[in-house]
Amino acid sequence: MARAMMRRLVFGLIAVTGVAVLAFLLEFVVPGDPARAIAPRAQSAAVLANIRAQLHLNQPLVVQFASYFGNLLHGDLGMSYVQRQPVAALIGPRLADTGALALAGVLAEVLIGGTLGVLAARHDRVRAAVGAVNLVLLAVPVFVLGLVLLLVFGYQLGLAPVAGGAGPAQIVLPALTLGLIGAPWYAQIVADQVQEALASNWVRTAVGKGLRDGYILRRHVLRNVLSPVLTMAGMDLGSYLSGVVTVEVVFVWPGIGLLAYNALQNLDRPVVMGTVIVGAVAVVAFNLLADLARMLADPRAREEA
Amino acid sequence: MPGDAGRPAALMARDVSVRYGPVRAVREASLTVGAGQAVALIGETGSGKSSLAFAVARLLPRSARVTGRVEIAGTDVLAADWRRFRGERARLLGCVAQDAMAALNPVLPVGRQVGELFAVHAGMGRRQAAAAASAALASVRIDHPEAVARLYPHQLSGGMRQRVMVAMALALRPPLVVADEPTTALDVSTQAEILGLVAELRERVGSGLLWITHDIGVVAELADWAAVMYAGRIVETGPVEAIFDAPAHPYTEGLLLTRRDLRSGAPGSPLFQIPGAPPARPDEAPGCPFMPRCPRATAVCAAREPPLLPLAGRGEAGHQAACHHPAPPGAPPAPAPARARTAAP
Ligand SMILES: Nc1ncnc2c1ncn2[C@@H]1O[C@H](COP(=O)(O)OP(=O)(O)O)[C@@H](O)[C@H]1O
Ligand SMILES: [Mg+2]
Repeated sequence: MARAMMRRLVFGLIAVTGVAVLAFLLEFVVPGDPARAIAPRAQSAAVLANIRAQLHLNQPLVVQFASYFGNLLHGDLGMSYVQRQPVAALIGPRLADTGALALAGVLAEVLIGGTLGVLAARHDRVRAAVGAVNLVLLAVPVFVLGLVLLLVFGYQLGLAPVAGGAGPAQIVLPALTLGLIGAPWYAQIVADQVQEALASNWVRTAVGKGLRDGYILRRHVLRNVLSPVLTMAGMDLGSYLSGVVTVEVVFVWPGIGLLAYNALQNLDRPVVMGTVIVGAVAVVAFNLLADLARMLADPRAREEA
Repeated sequence: MPGDAGRPAALMARDVSVRYGPVRAVREASLTVGAGQAVALIGETGSGKSSLAFAVARLLPRSARVTGRVEIAGTDVLAADWRRFRGERARLLGCVAQDAMAALNPVLPVGRQVGELFAVHAGMGRRQAAAAASAALASVRIDHPEAVARLYPHQLSGGMRQRVMVAMALALRPPLVVADEPTTALDVSTQAEILGLVAELRERVGSGLLWITHDIGVVAELADWAAVMYAGRIVETGPVEAIFDAPAHPYTEGLLLTRRDLRSGAPGSPLFQIPGAPPARPDEAPGCPFMPRCPRATAVCAAREPPLLPLAGRGEAGHQAACHHPAPPGAPPAPAPARARTAAP
C-alpha cells in the first residue's frame, strides 16, 4: 500500500510540473502585453519599455523560463505585476476562503445528492422525479444557477446577503450552487449502488437476521456506498480548491478563483501561474487523499493496492 | 411422519405456490419437517427448490407471489403481520445460503455480522455481542475465533465463510434451519466437513433441517426424509430408505443413477445424465412435465398431470409419488433410454 502511494505521489509531481510548464508556455501564446495592462494610459514607448525591462519581459523566453522555475524550486512564486506583493502572500489567505467554500460545496452536494439517491433507490415514484431534477440540474450552466439563487434568495426573499465577501452568511448561496450542480452525479451513483445493494443476497441475509430497515440502510447498505462517494468527494474537493472561478465571480467570493479571474484579465502572469500551480497541487493531493479514504472504507481496496 | 410427538413440526408447508409474473416456479408443494428431523429437497437446477425455501422463510423479492400455508414451529408465516414476523423470523429459522461470499456483507467484519444477531435479539451491548459472536464462531469449529471475527468475508476461505453462515443460522437455536445447497461451491473434502458440522450441530440444538441439494449423493448421510422436486412440483416424497431402495418416479430413478458416492470422492461430472432438460414453462402443457424425458410415458401422461398419491402396496408409510406409472417395488432401476456419458462432446 505504501509503495502504491509512493508511485502515485511521483506521478502527481510529474503531473504538477507538466501543468506548470504548459501554463507558463501558454501565457506567451496568449496575445497581450502585460506592460500595457499595468499602465494602460502610458503613451510613451519608453515608459512601456521601462516597465518591460523591470519585469524582465524583454529577456528571451528560455531565460525567463529558467529564472521562473529556478525560483519556484526554492518555493518562490514571484511578485504580482499589478499588486506589487508576493504571489504567495496573495494566495495564502484566499486559499482558506476557497477551502471553506470547497468544503461547504462538497458537503452540500454529498448531502443533497446522497439524499436524492437513497430516495430514488427506494421509491419507484421518487425515482422518476429525481431523474427529472437531475436532468434539469445537469442542463443549467453554473453561472445561471448562481444568478437565479442570488436573485431569488438574495434580492427577492432577502434571506441571503448579496454584497459578496467571505463569511458564514455569504457562504450559503455559493455552497448551495456547487451542491446543486454536483448533486446529480452523486444521486446517480448512490441510487445505483443502493439499489444493487438492496437486491443483494447479503441484504437478504440481514433481513433474515431480523434487522430493521433503517439499521440495514445505515450500517450495511450505506457502508457499501461510502467508498465510491468518498472517492468522488475527494476529487471534487481537489478541483474546487483549485478555484471555482464561475461561482466565486458570481458571488464575489474572495477566493483563488476570483484572484485567478482578475489576474487573467490584468495579464498578471505570476499570479496566474501561482493559482494554476496551487490548483494542480490541490487536485493531486486530494486525489491521493480520496484513494486513502477509499481504502479505509473498503477492505477489499486495501488489499488490491 | 417421524419427529418428536411433543413439539409442533419444525416446518409445515401446504400447497405452497410461487410465481414470478407468468412463471410458476413452485406449484402446490407440500412439505413437512418434523421437530428435529432432517429432510432433503432434491432436484435439478431450476426446479424451484430455492423459491420454495425462500417462500417458507418469506424472504422472496417483492416480485414473487406466494400462496398456500406455511407454519414454522406452529407460527403461521405467510399470514403473520410483516413487521412482527420480521422481528421473529431469526428465532424461527436460520438460513444457510449457497453462496456465502454473496450472502455476507463485503465491508463488515464477520464478527460484527454474527454479533448483530445477539445485539438485536438478546439486547446485548457491543462487547457482549462480540464475545457471543466469538463463541458462536468457536461452536462451528473455527480456531482463533476472536481473530477471525475481525476479518472480512473475502479474507476467509470458502469453507470458513460457510461456517460463519452456519454459525449465524444456528446462533438463536431456531427450530428450523434451511440450507440451500450450502456445499455446492466447495471442494469435496470441505463439503464433507460442512456436512458433518451441520449434522452434528443441528442434533445438538435440536433444530429441524431442510437440506436442499441437486446432489442426491449426500442425502443418505444426512436426511431421514426426502422430497424430489421437478419443474416446480414435488414428484416423490418418503423416507430416505424407501426413496433409495424402491424409487417409484422415473425422475427419481434417473437421479439415483447420477449419484456419485461422496466418500469415494469421485470428482467431476456424474457418470450418467438424464437425457433432455426440464421444460421452461411446465404449466403450459396439460400433461406430466417429465413426459418428454420419460422412458415409461404413455398416452395418459400427455393428457393429465399425475397428482401426488400414496403408493399402493408398499410397506413404507408416507411414500408418495406423482406418476401414472410408478415403478413396482423391487423393480430393477435404470430405465430404458438411459445413455451412459462416456466422453465429453
Ligand atoms: N427472482 C426471480 N424472478 C424471476 N424468476 C425467478 C426468480 N427466481 C427464480 N426464478 C425462476 O424460478 C424457477 C425456479 O428457480 P429456483 O427456485 O432458483 O430453482 P432451484 O433453486 O431449484 O435452482 C427458475 O425458472 C427461475 O428462473
Ligand atoms: Mg437454487
